[in-house]
Amino acid sequence: MDDIKVNQNPKLGSLDRPNSYIGRSLPRENAKKHLDGGGQFVDDLTLPRMVHVAFLRSPFAHAEIKSINTNNAKKSDGVVDVFTAKEIDEVCKPWIGNLGHLGEMRSPEQTPLAKKIARWQGEPVAVVIADSRAQAEDALELIEVDWAEKEAQVDMETALDSNAVVIHLELGNNLFWTRTVNQGDVEKAFKEADAVVETTLDFARHTGVTLESRGIVADWNKAENKMTIYHNGQAPHMMQHIIAKHLDLNEGLVRIVSRDVGGSFGIKVHVYPDEMAVTAISKKIGRPVKFIADRLESFTTDIHARCHKISGKLGVDKNGKILAMEIDDLSGIGPFSMYPRTSAIETNQVLNLSGAPYVIPNYKAVGTVVFQNKTPMCQYRAVGHPIAVAITEALIDKAAYKIDMDIDKIRKINFIPDNAYPNKCPSGVPLEDLSHEASMDKLLEIMDIKEIEVQKEEDFKKGVLTGHGVISMCEVTNPSPLFYGVGGAHISSQDGAAIRLEGSGAIHLSSSITEQGQGTEAIMKQIAADQLGVKMESVRVTLGDTDATPYGGGTWASRGAGIGGEAVLKAARKLKDNILNIAAAIMQTDKDTLDIEDNNIIRKNGGEGISLQKLAETVYYRGHELPKGTNAELLATASFLIEGIPFVFTNSAMGCQVSIDQDTGIIKINKFWAVEDCGTQINPKLVEEQIRGGVIQGIGGALFEECVYDDQGNMQNATMADYLVPMAYEMPDIIVDHVTTNSGRSIIGAKGAGEAGTGGAPAVIMNAVNNALKQVNAEVVSQPITPEKILKAIGKI
Amino acid sequence: MKAADFSYHEVVNLQDAIKIKAQDDEAVILAGGQSLLPALNMRLSSPTCLIDISKISGLNEIKIDGQTLFIGALATHSDVMNNKTVKDNMPCMIDILKMVAHPAIRNKGTHGGSIAYGDPAAELPALAVATNAEIIVSGQNGERSINAKEFYLGLFETAINQDEIVVGIKYPLLKQGQKIVFDEVCRRHGDYAMAGLIANIMGSKNDIKDLKLVFFATGDKPDVADKTARLYLDNGYDYDKLKNSLSSEIDFAGDLNSSSEMKLHLATVLIKKVLSKLEN
Repeated sequence: MDDIKVNQNPKLGSLDRPNSYIGRSLPRENAKKHLDGGGQFVDDLTLPRMVHVAFLRSPFAHAEIKSINTNNAKKSDGVVDVFTAKEIDEVCKPWIGNLGHLGEMRSPEQTPLAKKIARWQGEPVAVVIADSRAQAEDALELIEVDWAEKEAQVDMETALDSNAVVIHLELGNNLFWTRTVNQGDVEKAFKEADAVVETTLDFARHTGVTLESRGIVADWNKAENKMTIYHNGQAPHMMQHIIAKHLDLNEGLVRIVSRDVGGSFGIKVHVYPDEMAVTAISKKIGRPVKFIADRLESFTTDIHARCHKISGKLGVDKNGKILAMEIDDLSGIGPFSMYPRTSAIETNQVLNLSGAPYVIPNYKAVGTVVFQNKTPMCQYRAVGHPIAVAITEALIDKAAYKIDMDIDKIRKINFIPDNAYPNKCPSGVPLEDLSHEASMDKLLEIMDIKEIEVQKEEDFKKGVLTGHGVISMCEVTNPSPLFYGVGGAHISSQDGAAIRLEGSGAIHLSSSITEQGQGTEAIMKQIAADQLGVKMESVRVTLGDTDATPYGGGTWASRGAGIGGEAVLKAARKLKDNILNIAAAIMQTDKDTLDIEDNNIIRKNGGEGISLQKLAETVYYRGHELPKGTNAELLATASFLIEGIPFVFTNSAMGCQVSIDQDTGIIKINKFWAVEDCGTQINPKLVEEQIRGGVIQGIGGALFEECVYDDQGNMQNATMADYLVPMAYEMPDIIVDHVTTNSGRSIIGAKGAGEAGTGGAPAVIMNAVNNALKQVNAEVVSQPITPEKILKAIGKI
Repeated sequence: MKAADFSYHEVVNLQDAIKIKAQDDEAVILAGGQSLLPALNMRLSSPTCLIDISKISGLNEIKIDGQTLFIGALATHSDVMNNKTVKDNMPCMIDILKMVAHPAIRNKGTHGGSIAYGDPAAELPALAVATNAEIIVSGQNGERSINAKEFYLGLFETAINQDEIVVGIKYPLLKQGQKIVFDEVCRRHGDYAMAGLIANIMGSKNDIKDLKLVFFATGDKPDVADKTARLYLDNGYDYDKLKNSLSSEIDFAGDLNSSSEMKLHLATVLIKKVLSKLEN
């Protein structure tokens, strides 16, 4: 790192010392590698004797496979073999995407390739193995399938009707999961309320659109009985367990390597049928097998998210105090619940998180999750948050309008006060260390809401509809074992770090947290260097290799900094302690008089010290010089997990201002503000990247992104030209600010910061749009808010 | 997403290209490849033969030719946008090209390719029709010139013969008092429009002597709306009347981002938006 600019005159206490890297916006070294084109992604890997696969995918949303003839395909140039479910099932056992801790889930067995019936357009049915992907695709065209197309259950809203098409006959209907939360007495409270408001919101399906598509190379080594998987996933140890379990392998002999990963957003934390098939093929044919999803496959087989219709009702007294909230959420998840995390979690989070920032004494929430013939749906960035936040904040704005109260005031009088934590969500989920009051105050300060209101009136006179909104939200981060593990999933909630001083004086750190482009490696380095007292450039980091890193969960649910970072901090402190003990022995002084600064052991009271390199040389090469019995351990390990609560929550307040062209229905986000309280920021620049990136994905959900299906269940826009993600021109100025309330669960005090933008932006944009539309007595209730929806709402078409 | 096999001919002169194209009914011209290559990779199209004309020299010339601005078929959008002759003689073309996709695509995509492909949502075919441009094609029987309005026959269908290749476009130079004004409505910057309008105007804001309206992303080809233009000249901007007129004159075809009803509405308001850009 030759570009680090460390403030020479740091003012803050914790930053006021050498090697104080925690809290600094340092550039991340691996960005340079990627700009250089030097990353190592799965598709960069070529192994000797490697073959490629292409999947024949169901062209129908629902169809019986009466027969498959692969004879001609097998004769095609370069083809090694063609498999159907029969061959794959010989080596890979089916799975079931249900967990035990959230009540009955009803997803049936799923196999890598569809047997007898295909249940979504894109479901893999057969696979060609060939010398090149192009040859495999050529042969796909020669596979003859006798399809009998069946009526598809596309619409989630009719999925439970008596005349619905039942997707899994053995279940009798299309219900996957349902949950009811009931706190207090909502009926009574609504009767006592001075004003009751209601709304129903629709959220279209969208997806994660990672820059690098899903990819895997599976390499079965028969001689060693070892399976090596190069995979661009988020949870290597989870995959290690799953692959061993379903392919009947010794788990210790399954190695998962996840080097550079080009974005994940929760898309790459699930078990995909095609990837399991690839692993099975390698086992079967004894050769390395590569599969890289193309963009068409990404759109029809990467998990989708959202797809909710939610009704809500809020009762307030005449002073604006919330008395009760009730929601009823319906979600469609495709034909299977994803394995192993299940597709119940998004709805579960909607129920958990609605109303979370506020005191709501009476709360009722019903969630219903149904099967349908569309691409499977599961957890994507900010799981459930956009729905929970949008329904809560839409209802609060409505209540404010109804009793004629300012939108910021109604929130402030209902917040759980900052000094009232620990506390609970209306749903009963525990909360601690949050700051809605301080965050909203800061937001209003940076937004200058008075000026915005003046401008709104002036714009209206000119025929421009301008509106604004503010919201508050809770963000689920740093999950504990109560998230998945308790339900029977082998997903580690504990993470580990191992840190060592090497003979050269270099520090090597390995962590079970993974890097998907967000800068994990950089913050791990910052923590280690900061805690040890060494220069950043002397720390080398290894991530994403189950043979080389400690065991742990990986990176998802914004857990890297708060859980993995704490493990690194603890390991670094242990190593420092060991080093100082050894140094005390060498320097014949009391350990407490020593410290480490800039890779040197110094005497706090002055006098000559020794370098870490010298110390390491003594330990490794001239150990006989050490006093007998010295504990010369230069490798330290530590683990960390969140205990006692399900999640460490972060909170955020957001505001935005939009203008609407009444002729075209085009919405322009003029400005966006976000105040985040994620506790300690290890690298503020990376936190802001997380928030801005999250907001952009939230803008996608609010205004652009939608997996469009026709009524037969065919996805209509599975290309980057037709599926609209926000691009540079669609990105407004995003002003980010912070309130800092450290998590009391760890020394480092960091909470997650990856979800808020995506979770909150859809709500605040919708509120701002409706604030603008209110001037012409119109409203939109469906996302993405397209120009056509705006024009319909204002009666132009 | 790998293209099916095809034969590939890299030609260095026009005659070779014409010869191969004449011999093979399925031969397709490859210039910038910005529309063709994605279609091949998605196997939406599987021609047996590609003729790569990008190495033919001289086909990217931009010059004044008599009373016209000539743009060679192989000039990329970026070439055109950065060309002084274009800037001096038809600056509106630069503004229009800024709405064509993004720089990476404009660096490869060619002027002739866009004209020949004839995407009904693309800007350049509509510009050619609005300006009464001539499309110069070359074939076994030599060169001929086709008026842009006659060039576009239907959805991706043009008057070009199998043995012919677009070699350039001749845009008549603007006369004194003549202006080309345009606007379009897109979901995102650089996307194909939900509706777009190029107006060819003679006169000034308060004294329009002649008006030609050409819409794109509305129907199956650039849509000329002469009756509606006449109505505007007679009555000024009357939303309902113009909308009625447009609905009788253009067969609006909805797409993923806008229904036919939406397109009709946008086309109508585009008349106001475009003409309000005129200066007095």
